[in-house]
Amino acid sequence: MSGRVVGEPSRRTFLRGLSAAALAAGGAGALAACSGSSGSGAVTGGTGEPSGSITVWSWKNPAAELKALIPAFNAVHPKVQVNVQDIGNPAIWDKITIAMEAGGQGLADLLHIGVDYLPSYIEKFPNGLADLSQLGANQYADAFAPGLWQTVSRGSKVYALPWEANAAGFFFRADLFKQAGVDPNTLATWDDVIAAGKKVKAATGVGLFAVDKSASQADSANLLQLLMQLQGVFYFNLDGKITLNSPEAVRALTLVKEMNDAGLLVDVQGSPGTTGYDTAVKSGKVAVCPDPAWYGGYLETLTPDTKGDWQLILPPAVTQGGSRSAIVNSTHLAVSGTSKNQRAAFAFAEFALTRPDSQVSIFKAKGIFPALLKAYDDPVFHQADPFFGGQKYAEVFVEELSKPSAPTNYTSDYARALKAVDDAQTKVLLQGADPATVLRAAATQLAQQTRRSQA
Amino acid sequence: MSLALRERSGGRGEAPTRPAGPGRRPGRSTARLAPYLFILPALALFAGFRLYPIGWSFVLSLYHTEGMTQSWTGLGNYQRLIHDPLFWKALGNTALILVVQVPVMLCLALGLSVALNSALLRWKPLFRLGFFLPVVTGLVTYGLMMGALLNQDSGAVNWLLGLVGLPEVHWLTDPFWAKVSVMLALTWHYTGYNAVIYLARLQGIPDEHYEAAAVDGAGAWRRFWHITLPGLRPAMLLTVVLSTIGTLQLFDEPFIMTGGGPDNATTTIGVYLYQTGFRYFDFGYASAIGYALVLIISVLGLIQVKLAKEED
Amino acid sequence: MARTGPAFRATTRGQVLLTGSLLVLLAFTVAPLYWLLIASTHNQHDIFGRPPRLLPGGELGTNLTHLQTSVGFGRVVINSLLLATTYTVLGGIVCTLAGYGFAKYRFRGRGFLFSVLLLALVVPTQLTIVPLFKLMVNLGWLNTYQAVLLPNLALPFGIFLMRQSMRALPDELLQAGRIDGCGELGLFFRVALPTMRPALAALAMYLFLFQWNDFLWPLVALRDPSSYTIPVALAALTGSSDIDYGQLLTGTAVAAVPMAVLFLFLQKHFVSGMLAGAVKQ
Repeated sequence: MSGRVVGEPSRRTFLRGLSAAALAAGGAGALAACSGSSGSGAVTGGTGEPSGSITVWSWKNPAAELKALIPAFNAVHPKVQVNVQDIGNPAIWDKITIAMEAGGQGLADLLHIGVDYLPSYIEKFPNGLADLSQLGANQYADAFAPGLWQTVSRGSKVYALPWEANAAGFFFRADLFKQAGVDPNTLATWDDVIAAGKKVKAATGVGLFAVDKSASQADSANLLQLLMQLQGVFYFNLDGKITLNSPEAVRALTLVKEMNDAGLLVDVQGSPGTTGYDTAVKSGKVAVCPDPAWYGGYLETLTPDTKGDWQLILPPAVTQGGSRSAIVNSTHLAVSGTSKNQRAAFAFAEFALTRPDSQVSIFKAKGIFPALLKAYDDPVFHQADPFFGGQKYAEVFVEELSKPSAPTNYTSDYARALKAVDDAQTKVLLQGADPATVLRAAATQLAQQTRRSQA
Repeated sequence: MSLALRERSGGRGEAPTRPAGPGRRPGRSTARLAPYLFILPALALFAGFRLYPIGWSFVLSLYHTEGMTQSWTGLGNYQRLIHDPLFWKALGNTALILVVQVPVMLCLALGLSVALNSALLRWKPLFRLGFFLPVVTGLVTYGLMMGALLNQDSGAVNWLLGLVGLPEVHWLTDPFWAKVSVMLALTWHYTGYNAVIYLARLQGIPDEHYEAAAVDGAGAWRRFWHITLPGLRPAMLLTVVLSTIGTLQLFDEPFIMTGGGPDNATTTIGVYLYQTGFRYFDFGYASAIGYALVLIISVLGLIQVKLAKEED
Repeated sequence: MARTGPAFRATTRGQVLLTGSLLVLLAFTVAPLYWLLIASTHNQHDIFGRPPRLLPGGELGTNLTHLQTSVGFGRVVINSLLLATTYTVLGGIVCTLAGYGFAKYRFRGRGFLFSVLLLALVVPTQLTIVPLFKLMVNLGWLNTYQAVLLPNLALPFGIFLMRQSMRALPDELLQAGRIDGCGELGLFFRVALPTMRPALAALAMYLFLFQWNDFLWPLVALRDPSSYTIPVALAALTGSSDIDYGQLLTGTAVAAVPMAVLFLFLQKHFVSGMLAGAVKQ
């Protein structure tokens, strides 16, 4: 028994009718009335020097890196015992969600949460995550890549600190482009990309991008989402209204369709980092990976024998002179609202995420790209990489992330939007449906499901 | 728990309790109490750990929920179901699997059990074990295996098709073939299990029945039709009911093989329920989906049992 | 059986034909499992190579070592064995007692209680997980084995199976026992139970399988990785990127072996136990 169980009675009454019914059904029903929540206000974990033990939930590589930080952390905070647990991804979402639904009880003290879940947890479970502004988190408002603070905060309240920031990249096989006589550095718009893709295909027989056309994973519409973000739109606008049916969205999906019709999209099962996608990249079936920062480091271990063949540019603009940068996803550490030791949990998050040394060592070990601006001063982000033909690949992302960037409003309905977009893209790519028609239908369906209005 | 207690005291007071059959000795209070004591552990556990959660989730189906934000909506969630195209699509997919896959699987299992019971067959224990083995594979095993074998590019199944000159099949990525794949996987997983149930029953049919029929000059087909099939009746009812319940709740196979895709071609009620509750945090609506399903299963179950009784 | 002339030849031919065609069917059935076993002896690269590997490789030891270092696999296997065995014994007792009570006594509320049990059979488990989790938190049982075991001890299908089997037991036997002055508990142990061995084998197999493969509930009920079961530990290996399939498939292959062995031991009983389950009088 871990002893981390919170059983304090709630000040809010949770579902009065429900407990009444449960009471009628059995004596155990009385327990339903206890939904522990720390409420707002006091921070747990005492005052002064943090102490006690905390549990952290993360997955695989990031979990390993958090574990590696513990000795250094204990040199500063010797009284805190850190227990990092590798839950696995996606299993971690089931675990957090069920605990959240149960009133936030049974959560670990510190949680690693991706951008696809964070807004939902913040907005749908008001006391699920602790307000870190009371622990001094606001001092870091300008410490991270622009745009990310809006993702982790609501008004004056702060619910998480950013960790990993993934800016969009355009990794290309220089050898294949050279064979086709195209210089990717001259690609200004996606119309140029399509024209170049046709040449590459004609000269080498290799497709341009790998796409999970049947959407076997939730993030199968990465390319489409990138094309929308480059135009400054997302599935929702800043007011939370649905923008799936916007001219920009239709333009993005039309571009994807054009590429598909020209035979430039290789169908794979899975998204970057899973076997289907990675195998296509490894076996040289695609000339471009329009993937974020982390994929660069990943490529080096995935296909060591293509050393020197890869290079990197920022994704071309959708319209002439348009934006060429976008933060496509991020991950964060959040302290649970029911944690009995929020002070110690925050101290560990602070140590891991706001201290350049921590972030630099994590990047060096596992290629997890930091959101922390100060970390970018380290030489590791500015050195020539032989795998990319001597290009300073990390520097490209550093510049992209340092630029002012519009925040993306993921909203608490991001998962639903992703599903609608996936299905729309599948209809277009597998059945040749009309982009405008499927997006209109998707927007209508999403509006129905979420009670949001369309912009 | 209080439920169990109430039943116990009821039993003591009204004393309608008696051992089945004649010859009961009156006044033996232990005999009257006995059945309640036998079922008490099960009832107590059941009331505490199942009935209460079931009641909780049913009440939740009457609330509009967004995570922890909940408001009373009465039958609102059920009304929403009626106008939800995805629910109907999921119901349609589930129904399709029910009417196509279940009969095919049960017929296969029937043939298999007759073969396994045949005096002509050798190495019976080997076959029994082999056909039963797929049942032991769990969710994680199963997902990895099917994903790897049916993979369009690197999967062994397409490699085999290529060997005999057949074109590649988009097993998991084409709406039609994805349905086929889920049904194939289900059939692979459960045919042996059902065959073992039939086999057990077949072994209970006395040889004399067959011998008498043979003396009457009945051929193999007539013996199958007039002796084997009627003899299997109870086992068939059991497998039909179990398969119906299992199919209507179907979650594992589509979830791990296709995630319900492509374009919801393999989204079942179970998958849709999971997505709604665990991905969209709408547990009220997920509960409504679940209880709509319970209603459907109950009605179908009653019909099946009734039909079976009428035929008797 | 005729042992002379054409009839004998026909029998032999039938034997070969039947056995042969079943062998082909068997090949399709076990092929995926064979692939799994073979894959567990190869490394990541060879598993997805073309043509597929058909013979064992030499990586089994390496894969097992990796499993041990990444998730403490030895401990996890022991946890799974302990949990599944305890569950089978306790669940077996609860279900058998209840099945006997429902089958062999007539009492007030029997029909109603049994229908409620059957209703629970059709409520999707995903719906009951959240309230169950809440309950465990309030009881202070999170991360304990009783949290994993207790909720499913009274498994409706198990009770259903035992009730069906017990109904086949002739009432006259019990009456004879009563006349001999045997108590109700004595009747259960000395008269009913000895005839129920096949049904008990079937029940044991079913319960063990249920607990061995159960994933979602142990995942949320257990918190300490040292108390994980096999499916939960394997889930931690499926990170969003960089999956080592060598390790994963070895883990799943190991997970399937005890079940196969158990079936081998129980299959004789099990086969006739399902029969009892199917008997309806």
